Amino acid sequence: MRLGNRKSGGYEFDAKKQVGTAGFKGRHILYMDKCTGCSLCAIACENIADCIDMVKVDKNFPQNKKSIFPQIDYGRCVFCGFCVDACPFDCLFMTPFYELSTTDKRLLVYTPEMLNIYPETKGEFVNFIPDEKSGAHHG
Amino acid sequence: MEVVDKEGRTLTFSVGPQHPGSGHFRIIVTVDGDFIVDVKPDPGYVHRGAEKMSEERTYIQNIPHLERPVIIDSCGILFPYVLAVEELLGIQAPPRAQYIRIIMAELNRIISHMYWLSIFGIFLGHSTMFMWPMGDRELFIDLAESIGGTRVTFSYFVPGGVRNDLPEGFKERALRTCNYFEKRLKEYNKIFFSNPMFLKRTQGVGVLSKEDAIKIGVTGPNLRASGVASDTRKDEPYSSYDTIKWDIPVRKEGDCHARGMVRFQELFDSMNIIRQALDLIPEGPVKVPMRGQVKGKVGEAFARTEAARGTMFYHIISDGATHPYRVKISVPSFRNLIAIPFLLKGSHIADMPPIYWGLDYWPVEADK
Repeated sequence: MRLGNRKSGGYEFDAKKQVGTAGFKGRHILYMDKCTGCSLCAIACENIADCIDMVKVDKNFPQNKKSIFPQIDYGRCVFCGFCVDACPFDCLFMTPFYELSTTDKRLLVYTPEMLNIYPETKGEFVNFIPDEKSGAHHG
Repeated sequence: MEVVDKEGRTLTFSVGPQHPGSGHFRIIVTVDGDFIVDVKPDPGYVHRGAEKMSEERTYIQNIPHLERPVIIDSCGILFPYVLAVEELLGIQAPPRAQYIRIIMAELNRIISHMYWLSIFGIFLGHSTMFMWPMGDRELFIDLAESIGGTRVTFSYFVPGGVRNDLPEGFKERALRTCNYFEKRLKEYNKIFFSNPMFLKRTQGVGVLSKEDAIKIGVTGPNLRASGVASDTRKDEPYSSYDTIKWDIPVRKEGDCHARGMVRFQELFDSMNIIRQALDLIPEGPVKVPMRGQVKGKVGEAFARTEAARGTMFYHIISDGATHPYRVKISVPSFRNLIAIPFLLKGSHIADMPPIYWGLDYWPVEADK
């Protein structure tokens, strides 16, 4: 489907401005320097959305000898956050960034390198600080 | 409306499924003049096989898909599931988690009732009553979003507690919202609930007597509007509901007006429960720590809670594996479906919208 000319009418779309409230379950962030490639996030996603694949990257990490990291398909993700709960190394979180719309669904597959970059947002939000008392955490 | 059949005096036609209030649902009605003589409800193709899907997923993986049938009351349909799984596991949620569950369930009840109220307004031709509750509903969605992380499908309750603690400053925000909303509800009463148009279209319409309500088996606000003081939160208290005081709103008339007023009163009661829960909530952990896959012991578990539309019931059979052997869900909307043909027969065509939506029937929940 062809989209109309945005400049001629309607509003100017600015993805950088759209931020949810603190704790909102939006796009993930992956800390590649902490991820060990244990695939527990991919196992947690099985039968829920099946959107996490473990893929190999061309870079060596001391804690991740196989160099495999999660790749997330946002065309399938339901943003339940059980992958974040499953991560025992605190390297996968969700950010309040939710504007992911594209005109090509292949662009919704986020590679580990893309997930490693914190989304550019203009709003301010506070992350939940994980500790043992507060149980599982996200955002 | 689509004419299906025309024979003799009566005319059979289909109402729906294009109406925004009915969703996938349509009612095949036969009319004689202005009176409805026969009704066949058709829930549409909204069956998802939630029960069968549950047998092939683990206890945690079941959570996101089980709340999809009723996304506007997602905690209501998930509450008995987690209680039944906890019974199978032999654990109990910590006290703080129990109160957080109460707050979240009542927020969902308000969100669901507000949605119902706005559609009820537009069904009766009152456009302002569509816009006001839809706008005020956002305040409670924001509150629930700050706890659960999403607008409607929170996936927030898990066996053993809840997934995260309340955010900082939640109590002040919740109390501020409740105080504001109470003022708004008085304006709702002025503009809609004491409006002659509302009274004339609902009073004495679709009367469900006490005996019929018990015979058909309707639950929740519809049963309370027919004069039965039944509420699972009071009858079989779960999750620390026994420490909270409120009165069950009961009406004797059993008509659409009574069903509307019971739900209107429940908005006040839910805020009252949230305020009490915020005062009573103790400090402590919100989740029982668990490692590895959740495995239920061999046996059966039952749980019954009060969702926004009535009694929600789960029966789970476990054979000791990581997946449940059988999950049976009994939903309140299915019972309301039985009441629709019962009430519509013999009524005017113009009384169809208040009778249909006054029961707060949700097609996807009934078909699950």
